[in-house]
Amino acid sequence: MRITANTSADNSLFYIQQGRAKLDKLAELIASGQNVNRPSDDPISTNMILGIADKLKTGDQYLSNIDKTKIQMQITGTALQGMYDTLKIARDLANSLVNGSTDTQTLNNAVSQFQTLKQQMIDYGNVRNGETYLFAGADSMTAPFSGTAPYYGGDETTLNINIADSSTIKLNIPGNQILTADTAVSQPYGSTNILEAFDNLITAVGANDVAGINAGAQALIAGAKQVNNAQTDIATRQIRLNSMEQMNSNNRNTLLTVVGDIQTVDYAKLGVELTQQQTAFNASLSATAKLTQMSLLDYIS
Amino acid sequence: MGLSTALEIGKTGLTIYRVATEVTGENIANVNTAGYSRQRVVFQTAPPTTANGFPLGTGVQISTVERYYDSFLQKQLVNAETTEGYDTKKFEILKQIEPAFNEIANDGLGTSLINFFGAWEDLSLNPTGTTERQVVFTRARTLVDDFHAASKCLTDAAATQNDSLVPLTAEINARLEDIAKLNGQIRYTEQSSGNANEIRDQRDQLVRELSGKIGITFTENSDGTTDVNFKDSGAALVVGSQFGAFSLTVNAGTGNYDVNITPVGGAAAVVAPVSGEMGAIVTLRDTTIPGYLNQVNSLATTIATQVNTQHALGFDLNGDAGEAMFTYTGAPNSAATLTINPALTSTNQIAASGSATLVGDNTNALLLAQLKSTSTMSGGTTTFNGFYTKLVSQIGLDVESSSNAVSQDAAFLKQLEALRESNSGVSLDEELTNLIKYQRSYQASAKLITTASDMLDIVLNMMR
Repeated sequence: MRITANTSADNSLFYIQQGRAKLDKLAELIASGQNVNRPSDDPISTNMILGIADKLKTGDQYLSNIDKTKIQMQITGTALQGMYDTLKIARDLANSLVNGSTDTQTLNNAVSQFQTLKQQMIDYGNVRNGETYLFAGADSMTAPFSGTAPYYGGDETTLNINIADSSTIKLNIPGNQILTADTAVSQPYGSTNILEAFDNLITAVGANDVAGINAGAQALIAGAKQVNNAQTDIATRQIRLNSMEQMNSNNRNTLLTVVGDIQTVDYAKLGVELTQQQTAFNASLSATAKLTQMSLLDYIS
Repeated sequence: MGLSTALEIGKTGLTIYRVATEVTGENIANVNTAGYSRQRVVFQTAPPTTANGFPLGTGVQISTVERYYDSFLQKQLVNAETTEGYDTKKFEILKQIEPAFNEIANDGLGTSLINFFGAWEDLSLNPTGTTERQVVFTRARTLVDDFHAASKCLTDAAATQNDSLVPLTAEINARLEDIAKLNGQIRYTEQSSGNANEIRDQRDQLVRELSGKIGITFTENSDGTTDVNFKDSGAALVVGSQFGAFSLTVNAGTGNYDVNITPVGGAAAVVAPVSGEMGAIVTLRDTTIPGYLNQVNSLATTIATQVNTQHALGFDLNGDAGEAMFTYTGAPNSAATLTINPALTSTNQIAASGSATLVGDNTNALLLAQLKSTSTMSGGTTTFNGFYTKLVSQIGLDVESSSNAVSQDAAFLKQLEALRESNSGVSLDEELTNLIKYQRSYQASAKLITTASDMLDIVLNMMR
């Protein structure tokens, strides 16, 4: 094959261009730290990376849902603990009166204490997270409990929240299932109307009605058990939330590892490639510079 | 036959080697001229005489000045230029579209989709929250903006390609006219005075340049002219010194340009270019880009329909049934015309509740959030994000394959160029060697004249 100076020059330019393109690609990989910087770099990996990115973002949303739900569970749990403690105080007070009393002052004081404790229960029932009444069901903009029968003005909707794909958890407990359970359609924790028990107790104590006080004390014990059941439910939900949080975190770590394996560049490998490419490029430039200078003209006087 | 013959041979030698030096000069001067084919002087012995009693030549004469040209290589180059023109233009256009869908480097439509349904998740945690409702609105607006951006990128790309047909057509027509004119000059020149090598080179270079823009076939005629036909329809573009023309007419249906050819001796007719630069432009404008756009529109339509349907099943803070969240005018342009329903003027109108009376219910927000992971696209086989990811990968694949094609074309074309250079390219070393050779021959011819002159002087002196 006949080779001219232009053949050599064209070849040199072609390979210099190829070498420069390889160096440019290596520089991009090193600077970005990513193997895939645009879909055309590796369409198949792109599909996987974007799929994983979607899963990561969705997982982050579930983790955010879980975080917010845990806060709500904590507030709910605190309110239930408050109810339980209040009921224990009320139960103890009732037990101290089951034999009756001739001291009017004692009875009046007891009535006053039961009224305070009942109000305390109502306050716990009207606890809020932000603007939302936690025990109001889906009627969460209005305080659900009042001091007079039927006491509960909320509804009995149980709200659900997504915590994983096709996995939900109950966000709330309708207040009537705790404090006015006998009026609730669903009675998962018991059937005691605690607020009514307080009112009955206040009436019985005011009348020094020993049987009524006894019945009230029993109702408060049943109520405390009812609240305790609700606490157990909340604790179970918290355990599940923790478990799902762990699962989502594990999934996240696995996905990050997978995407890292695809995306993270091997700097050592790139360093070696860069050195090799630099050597080849320098050799190419040097050869071109020397070759293009050679001419018969230099030898013709 | 006498000394005068020797003088004549010397004189002819001087003339011939001067011409040979001129040809070498022409080669040296055009060493870098695109399309130039090196030329050489073909020497031949001048007719012999028998004046001496035996046949003896009368010196040297030029048989022809010929160019080094390989018509088979020219055909291969023309075909390679057509393929390279198509692939390069396709790559250029796709490369401009890719950044708009580069979800790896930037947040785009895919992220907006996730964020939009994430906002419904947040709302499901606090169905009456004003902030959460505002976020749903904001995310919906961002989603709409990103649909507009994706749609605009694609429609702009198609419109730009459509517009680029105007200068391209003008360029093609100019080349057709030039080729035809050069054909005429070649025929005239060769009829009167031998090979029109330089004009043939110019014409052949124009044919190669034309072949990058449209697919062509060509025929080299015995009179030196080259006829050119449009590869995609067979229409005669150049016949001798006559030439046809490309023109554009606006298609009433699409609003885009139709490509027309008025062939030599024929009437204008619409053609469908599929090769060369023009073929790439038309294919991308009419098929590839609309294909991407259809997918974006399909996504926009399905999202709007699904969200609107579910939203209508819920109830807002006023207890009213949910209004449609998105509106658009016509499925073909749904991404471009997608907007938030103007009737939704307040965050209170977001229908998160599944009950007309219970504002704190989150059933509908939850169902809307769950649309994200529901397989509603591609006949119920993939999710919104899965569908979009597939589109992004498809664009990536198209860019990658066209990039590979361009690399292969460049390598193939380089090889053909090297072959052409090997055959037709000027070698300065070769020309300098020829220069010295011709210079020495010229000097020898001059020496022949001075020697013959000296001999003549001797004869003349004998007679004094």
